[in-house]
Amino acid sequence: MTAAVGSFFLKHRRLLVIAVPMVWLLIFFLAPFLVVFKISFSEAAMARPPYLPLTSWEDGRLLITLNLGNYQFLLEDPLYLLSLISSVQIAAVSTIFALLIGYPMAWYIARSPARRRNILLMLVILPFWTSFLLRVYAWIGILRSTGVINNTLIAMGIIDEPLVMLQTNFAVYIGIVYTYLPFMILPLYANLSRLDPALLEAAADLGAKPATTFLTVILPMSLPGIIAGSMLVFIPAIGEFVIPALLGGPDTLMIGKILWTEFFNNRDWPVASAVAMVLLAIIVLPLVRFRRARG
Amino acid sequence: MKRSPLLSIMALIGFIFLYAPILSLVVYSFNESRLVTVWSGFSTKWYGELLRDPQILGAAWISLKVAVASATISLVLGTMASLALVRYGRFRFRELFSGMTTAPLVMPDVITGISLLLLFVTMESLFGWPAGRGLLTIIIAHTTFCMAYVAVVVETRLINVDRSVEEAAADLGAKPLRIFFDVTLPSIAPALVSGWLLAFTLSLDDLVIASFVAGPGSTTLPMLIFSKVRLGVSPDVNALATILIGLVAIGIAISAFVMTRNGRSSESGA
Amino acid sequence: MNERQSPSDMPWRNGSEPFVRIVDVSRSFGPVVAVNNVSLDIYKGELFCLLGSSGCGKTTLLRMLAGLETVSSGRIEIDGQDMAGISPWDRPTNIMFQSYALFPHMNVERNIAYGLYRDGIPRSEVTDRVADMIKLVQLSGMERRKPDQLSGGQRQRVALARSLIKRPKLLLLDEPLAALDKKLREETQFELVNIQEKLGVTFVVVTHDQEEAMTLATRIGVMRNGVIEQVAEPREIYEYPLNRFVADFIGSVNMFEGVVAETDPDRTLIRCEDADMTINVSHGVSCSPSQRLWFALRPEKPEISRHRPDGVDNVVEGVVEEIAYRGNLSIFRVRLKTGKQIDLIRTNQERSAQEPITWDDPVFVSWDAASGVVLTS
Repeated sequence: MTAAVGSFFLKHRRLLVIAVPMVWLLIFFLAPFLVVFKISFSEAAMARPPYLPLTSWEDGRLLITLNLGNYQFLLEDPLYLLSLISSVQIAAVSTIFALLIGYPMAWYIARSPARRRNILLMLVILPFWTSFLLRVYAWIGILRSTGVINNTLIAMGIIDEPLVMLQTNFAVYIGIVYTYLPFMILPLYANLSRLDPALLEAAADLGAKPATTFLTVILPMSLPGIIAGSMLVFIPAIGEFVIPALLGGPDTLMIGKILWTEFFNNRDWPVASAVAMVLLAIIVLPLVRFRRARG
Repeated sequence: MKRSPLLSIMALIGFIFLYAPILSLVVYSFNESRLVTVWSGFSTKWYGELLRDPQILGAAWISLKVAVASATISLVLGTMASLALVRYGRFRFRELFSGMTTAPLVMPDVITGISLLLLFVTMESLFGWPAGRGLLTIIIAHTTFCMAYVAVVVETRLINVDRSVEEAAADLGAKPLRIFFDVTLPSIAPALVSGWLLAFTLSLDDLVIASFVAGPGSTTLPMLIFSKVRLGVSPDVNALATILIGLVAIGIAISAFVMTRNGRSSESGA
Repeated sequence: MNERQSPSDMPWRNGSEPFVRIVDVSRSFGPVVAVNNVSLDIYKGELFCLLGSSGCGKTTLLRMLAGLETVSSGRIEIDGQDMAGISPWDRPTNIMFQSYALFPHMNVERNIAYGLYRDGIPRSEVTDRVADMIKLVQLSGMERRKPDQLSGGQRQRVALARSLIKRPKLLLLDEPLAALDKKLREETQFELVNIQEKLGVTFVVVTHDQEEAMTLATRIGVMRNGVIEQVAEPREIYEYPLNRFVADFIGSVNMFEGVVAETDPDRTLIRCEDADMTINVSHGVSCSPSQRLWFALRPEKPEISRHRPDGVDNVVEGVVEEIAYRGNLSIFRVRLKTGKQIDLIRTNQERSAQEPITWDDPVFVSWDAASGVVLTS
């Protein structure tokens, strides 16, 4: 019996190793998108589940009702378009700040002595191992009107009234940069650490000052790292929900938050599905480019 | 190439930015006052309160079960996926397969969450399975996105495994399954450990996907924290955060200790 | 090696049955033909070297013998048994990898014992055989070390021990000495030959190093572009290369291009325009009249003198252009009137010659009619 199982495994080893994860991903990763796509064309209803089926059977005729109303609704109500633009804008601004903070850190680590390099890298990765939710929560305590920053500034007599920082887009930028910074630093570091120091010495020897060396040698050579890091921050930031929900205000428009509200608060599953399809379309484009860039 | 002092200062600011919030969580977890950020004296009372809260303990237990299960399943599936990608060259639908194993890495949680929920609802109405939502659906959802991380981690290691070592085992009389357990598995073992830990952490940390696919009675720890935090800061969450940070720190210390000890033993012989 | 045996001992000369038969074997990777229709016989107890530059197909051929690479067409027989469809783990061969491929997580003892356990050999016997093997390769005291705690030479010996312990009918070695430094390589060469003679196992060694092949081999097979150009004993391959590639690949050579002026059974005259001379060769060549051919002359064969020597078959005039002093010998480069250069080697037997030949001296280069070889391809 076990011998038979064993020989079956031997013979079809290759097939099994491919098929098992493949089938799992087809069912639980690819199929769900088709379901979302389907439901985005149905009509919301007070039912369980809260939408009407696409097909019905009436007088011997098969009726397929494609309700384009959800997408029409997304176009008509400016809220959705605005939140889409706002999401991309917030993700883009945060990516730029993450790059500005992450680049010097990655460069610093790459130029550290080998022994210290691993410790510094560990320090970059470490926050990632502690709860993301709790790290975002920490910023509430820091940014709110009775938070660490305001208390300190008032105690030092610099301000009289607390600054409003929490529940603003500023807080959202901070939250995104903070949580995604390791994703920016790691690919940058991987790229910069491979850069041969002799190239910098060669540039200096040929008369380039440090700033010129940076602009003409280091920056162009680290471009793949910059692109990889930026993608790893930008793409997930677009669909972020937790950060705008906890740190943003009521007027912080982000598509992830809209989707959540449609789904949980308005219980409008078809519209939420339509929002998901639009978000997916926005993600897929840079994703495909990213994959192609990685080769 | 010497590093300029400006660069060092910028890097220092970066590290402060990374660690200041975590430090503030820990500090204020020992604050007497309910107002979290107004210091009124040292106290460990929030820890006591935390450990007496059945809601938190229940949610933590659920999260732990989910994390262990999905980390383990995703380790098996992710390792198989990486073996297929690294070892089996071309096969049909390879592009689709590799796309599906990496896409979950950047897929926004809201999309993964809503699409899996709608799948579960549809499947239930078609086949009656999975009946309702709860632990099982969370584990399936977490496995799906965690296996992508496992696949990436194991793949990186697998690419660097010297094929000739496996060929040597074959040449010395080991059959494929034996080769896998004798040679391949030990060489990728560190990646398997970190892949499992990564999946475990991600599962333990997930709020959004779990919120979509959880049912009544399967509230995970992040879901509970989120509902508490939404109402404002709460000192027992700080205490909880400190405990989690402490656990991570201990884990890191142990792995660092093991790593340096292994490193030293191999240095001493050379 | 071949020096130590009398001609009748050499199985490839006395018509013995070959031990390994490679018949019309080819292997392609997509459009690339790595091994092209190779046929080769290897005899029991041989130390056969496959020699060629990287990418010539020698490693692919070796891996096909081990069963690590499938054969696209053709047949391999070892000890009378057809190897088609036999997996590497069932073959009577063992291979030593260029990278050694030691199991990084096992110590020396377990690395060496691995193959025995796969054969289900009882623990007590394994222990004895491993201990014997460790003694043979002089690794005593290293039993508990992991591969990363060993030096390159020690690792090489573990790899050798591990591949020998199963007493394979055929041991395959892929560049066994390439990772060692020069001094260690020379010592290990002799050690390898000693072990091979002691155990009587048939060895096939792949190498790109012609000196290594010369030192180790009973016979050498020179490979290029997936084809075996010549199979012969080291001396024969050096003195009687079959074509220009082999002549040039093994050692260095002065090549003269010319046409047959005259040939009969014990004499051939070759008109060589680029040296403006007629080369006198002491044997016949089977070729068509006025066929283009090449005359290859090893640099240690000709003489160099200030005065025209008498009674020598071939003499040509030139000027010393370069002298490279190498301690034990000196290399002279003589430019002929036509511009052609001839290199020749003189051993420095005397510490200081009376009137040494030096730069820009007009000289005569001369050689006997029997000292070169005529090549038709």
